[in-house]
Amino acid sequence: MTASTETDRPGVGEQASVRPAMSRKAEELDRTWYSPSGFFGWFTQVNHRMIGKRFIITSFIFFLMAGIESLLLRTQLAVPENSFLTPDHFNQLFTMHGSTMMFFFAVPMMEGLGIYVVPLMIGTRDMAFPRLNAFGYYVYLIAGVTLYAAGFLGHAPDGGWFAYVPLTLTQYSPGLGLDFWATMITFIEISALVAAVELIVTIFKQRAPGMSLNRMPLFVWAMLVTMFMIVFAMPPLMVGSVMLALDRTVSTHFFMTSGGGEPLLWQHLFWFFGHPEVYIILVPALGVISSIVVTFARRPIFGYTAMVLSVVAIGFVAFGLWVHHMFTTGLPTLGVSFFTAASVMIAVPSGVQIFCWIATLWGAKLRFATPLLFVLGFFFIFVLGGLTGVMVASVPFDTQVHDTYFLVAHFHYVLIGGAVFPVFGAIYYWFPKVFGCMLNETAGKWSFVLMFVGFNMSFFPMHQLGLQGMPRRVYTYLSESGWFELSLLATIGAYVFALGVLVTAVDALLSFLRKPDAPDNPWGGDTLEWATSSPPPNYNFEDIPVVRGRWALWERGEEPAGTVVGLRSGRREVLVTTLLDAEPHAVAILPGPTIWPFLSAVAVAAGFLGFIRHPIWFPIGLLLTFVGFVGWLWPRAVGGSAEEEQAR
Amino acid sequence: MNAETRFDAGELPRLPADYRAPLWWGIVGLILVESVVFATLITSYFYLGIDQPEWPPAGTKTPDLVKPTLGTLVLMASSLPMHWADRGITRGDQTALRWGLLLSIALAVTFLVLKYIEYSEMGYRWYTHSYGSISWAIIGFHSTHVVALILKTVVVSALAWIGYFSERRSLAVKVNGIYWHFVVAVWIPLYATLYWMPRVLK
Ligand code: HEM
Ligand SMILES: [Cu+2]
Repeated sequence: MTASTETDRPGVGEQASVRPAMSRKAEELDRTWYSPSGFFGWFTQVNHRMIGKRFIITSFIFFLMAGIESLLLRTQLAVPENSFLTPDHFNQLFTMHGSTMMFFFAVPMMEGLGIYVVPLMIGTRDMAFPRLNAFGYYVYLIAGVTLYAAGFLGHAPDGGWFAYVPLTLTQYSPGLGLDFWATMITFIEISALVAAVELIVTIFKQRAPGMSLNRMPLFVWAMLVTMFMIVFAMPPLMVGSVMLALDRTVSTHFFMTSGGGEPLLWQHLFWFFGHPEVYIILVPALGVISSIVVTFARRPIFGYTAMVLSVVAIGFVAFGLWVHHMFTTGLPTLGVSFFTAASVMIAVPSGVQIFCWIATLWGAKLRFATPLLFVLGFFFIFVLGGLTGVMVASVPFDTQVHDTYFLVAHFHYVLIGGAVFPVFGAIYYWFPKVFGCMLNETAGKWSFVLMFVGFNMSFFPMHQLGLQGMPRRVYTYLSESGWFELSLLATIGAYVFALGVLVTAVDALLSFLRKPDAPDNPWGGDTLEWATSSPPPNYNFEDIPVVRGRWALWERGEEPAGTVVGLRSGRREVLVTTLLDAEPHAVAILPGPTIWPFLSAVAVAAGFLGFIRHPIWFPIGLLLTFVGFVGWLWPRAVGGSAEEEQAR
Repeated sequence: MNAETRFDAGELPRLPADYRAPLWWGIVGLILVESVVFATLITSYFYLGIDQPEWPPAGTKTPDLVKPTLGTLVLMASSLPMHWADRGITRGDQTALRWGLLLSIALAVTFLVLKYIEYSEMGYRWYTHSYGSISWAIIGFHSTHVVALILKTVVVSALAWIGYFSERRSLAVKVNGIYWHFVVAVWIPLYATLYWMPRVLK
């Protein structure tokens, strides 16, 4: 029974490049793993590649929105005493810019990359909980759209991206803006946590046979570490944002001093999340860079073990740093010294990463395609951001530049260097895999040059502005301040940067409309996603590969080392392997497309949003969500016996 | 190994009801996430309480111990029939499964009723002071879990009564049980925090 469909399988040697008319097996797989299309179909899709693609595209749109907001801010700051924006609008715009970039662009973008690429890289057909995946996406979408819709209707938050209390309590921020903010932040955390659990389980249990932990691609390691960081960092923020919402809606006293509340509690909860957040964004980017460096240097990474250990170390140390955001709040000196030391310590594993990449690139026959350019851009920018980071880790210096443009320069160097450049590298690198066509190399190089020059032009002068005392979050400044020339330069730089982004966006849009023509493995990469077609079929691989080395496709010329037989094609079967050594020990059967995750997300949203108006919505939301979950999890074969289900 | 390296998955078990099932790991992941949430709540409780001159604040009584301790025992007891149900279905014993689930639900409902009585008599509310806020938050959050647990288990026992489960199809019972034990276990540090800490911090 098991191998009936396997007998006509072509030999392993033929499967890579020659792809004749679909085999019978492929046809059956195609039917089994179909993904509904059309408007209503869209709400029922669950395949990880669809969901991953949605995360990536949606977060890119949020990136553009936040980018437009930043251009408005920079336009206002171009000349002294400008009246392009009112002070209120300025506050709302930087709040939305920061919140969007951090919560609705950077994290979901990284999750999207993980959701799309990881299952392919580890050689499985889908993620462990496909429906949960879809649920996470809808939660994210609803959160983002609601926040923006509320903003356009005049309920924009204006408390900055870290929403410090007491400013953000009802007393000083009446209106609904911050209610929406606190609620939607809670909401997006749910989405991130869902993706985290999902990716961890998939990486732990669904790797191709032979892909033991010490053979796992560095990108997958990076994702694994990131997802664990999300598991530990996001719940405290969720608790914090719920407390904030409660303080605002039902007058609790978590942060309000009048009833014994502690404003600093908010800061602790926020930064306990907020610092790891930076690494939640950075660590996947490190994984992207490792992938790109290996591929374009055309040799294995130097110091694989050191790379893995340092990524894990970054994950741990990142949790010991949060207080460095609170140096100016009057904490005990001993505590402050501890956090200074920890903050400097994180430079060590980061340095290990950089040196291993340099060693890999050193003397290699490099191929200067666009993805590598963005990686080189990352090196330059991120190292500069790291240097100012070590500077602000020292308390006296931080006290001086706290809340000035020096800080704005520092964190944009870290975030744009550490996230935006790698993400653009990733876009150029994986676009052919995802959409089946290459992006234009010339456009890519132009985009890179414009972004690199524009970025430095915009943010380098801010260091100087900060040292001259220009505070952040001011909507304008006086002519006598002497900040005009550098501010104007920063504004021009921002527009140059935006032009660079636009080049890639237009190029991507045009390529998206072209007919797919990319080869399976355009860059000669070593990981398994390059062993299937571009774009991959819904079932990812016709035959699940067997792995017997760290560089799956380089072990024996562009092909995996063997294949798995005996997975049935007539239902969604995926192989489950052991955690450490990836030895197969079971087969899981995944559920298919359904509307329930969408309905459940709507139910959760109704509960959360209704709560802003009245607490009665809490039980209503709970009940509706419960109904949604029952519909979602209801067994497929209530009538039949287990034996029948096994055999079918 | 050579090009013939093949692995035959044909004979691997299809629906194992143990740690080989991804769902089992998913529940472990959920428990991990929720543990961090509960840990954050407890930490916040201490953070709010530690610097106060009096905790609970003047005018608010230190919580009584009798009812909550009784409730805690009831809740802990609910884990036993759940375990019995779980064991039962592993051996194919439908009676143990059906009655075990119902008994657990009954005990959990009793716990909620006790909590309801206790908190409706409480002299303060969440808007009274920070002590009230954090206590109600912890109780509210945990009780919501118990409610969700009961609802979930009602569905599982409905399936049990129509004979859906068997020794080869028991994963849903297993993971429901694991989560049940978690919600019970996490109550113990919460109980210690809410009812004993005010005595210690005094
Ligand atoms: C397109 C390039 C970008 C430009 C021109 C830009 C510009 C700005 C400006 C003008 C501010 C306000 C500074 C102030 O008044 O204090 C700001 C704040 C901020 N930006 Fe950006 N930004 C860019 C990209 C990014 C990215 C990619 C991220 C994160 C991934 C980011 C995160 C933030 C954050 C967190 C704030 C602080 C908001 C607050 O004060 O609450 N920015 N940015
Ligand atoms: Cu930090």
